[in-house]
Amino acid sequence: MESAHPHDIGTIVDAEGVAIRTGHHCAQPVMEHFGIAATARASLGMYNNREDIDALVTALRKVQELFG
Amino acid sequence: MDLRELYQEVILDHGKSPRNHRFPERHNREGRGYNPLCGDKIALRLQLDGETISDVGFIGQGCAISQASCSTMTEAIKGKTVPEVEALFSKFHTMVTSDDGADDDLEALGKLAVFAGVREFPMRVKCATLGWHTLKQALHDESGEAKTE
Repeated sequence: MESAHPHDIGTIVDAEGVAIRTGHHCAQPVMEHFGIAATARASLGMYNNREDIDALVTALRKVQELFG
Repeated sequence: MDLRELYQEVILDHGKSPRNHRFPERHNREGRGYNPLCGDKIALRLQLDGETISDVGFIGQGCAISQASCSTMTEAIKGKTVPEVEALFSKFHTMVTSDDGADDDLEALGKLAVFAGVREFPMRVKCATLGWHTLKQALHDESGEAKTE
């Protein structure tokens, strides 16, 4: 995913029906500490199942297709 | 909505290898743009000779849309006059924010028309316009930086 910016990843997986969070996650000081502007973060809840994870992986493959 | 509408080849190409991604040797105007929500940053420098932009370049970091938009913008504005560039920004802005594209002046926009798909993604409009807002700030020599928020 290195060549894809987190916000591009977010838009693409969103279009595939998967919601993740992108940006600085309201944690600017720690992002500044690590010298990064943004990250993409997938969070799982107890209600997520195998299909949800498969959908995420499929969506991430789409990112690779576009930005690989 | 189709992702390919947004991520057209021209956008992916310019996002990966931005044109004019350097500061010009001579410059008399500078603009800085920042989107605090995503951290995208652009520093734009240009040489204004009379009313004509004779050279322009930028250094920036951010998503494919913001970098590609700034890259194609520098190509589009080099050699143009300030009123011409302002008219172009107005047309670009109309294109990325209108509902249906009925008023798009595709002929005048030329290569910039690849950003028409952005209108389907309201969250990304600010990515596409960051470079242009930075340009406006540079041309009007306003202090501070152009912010999207």
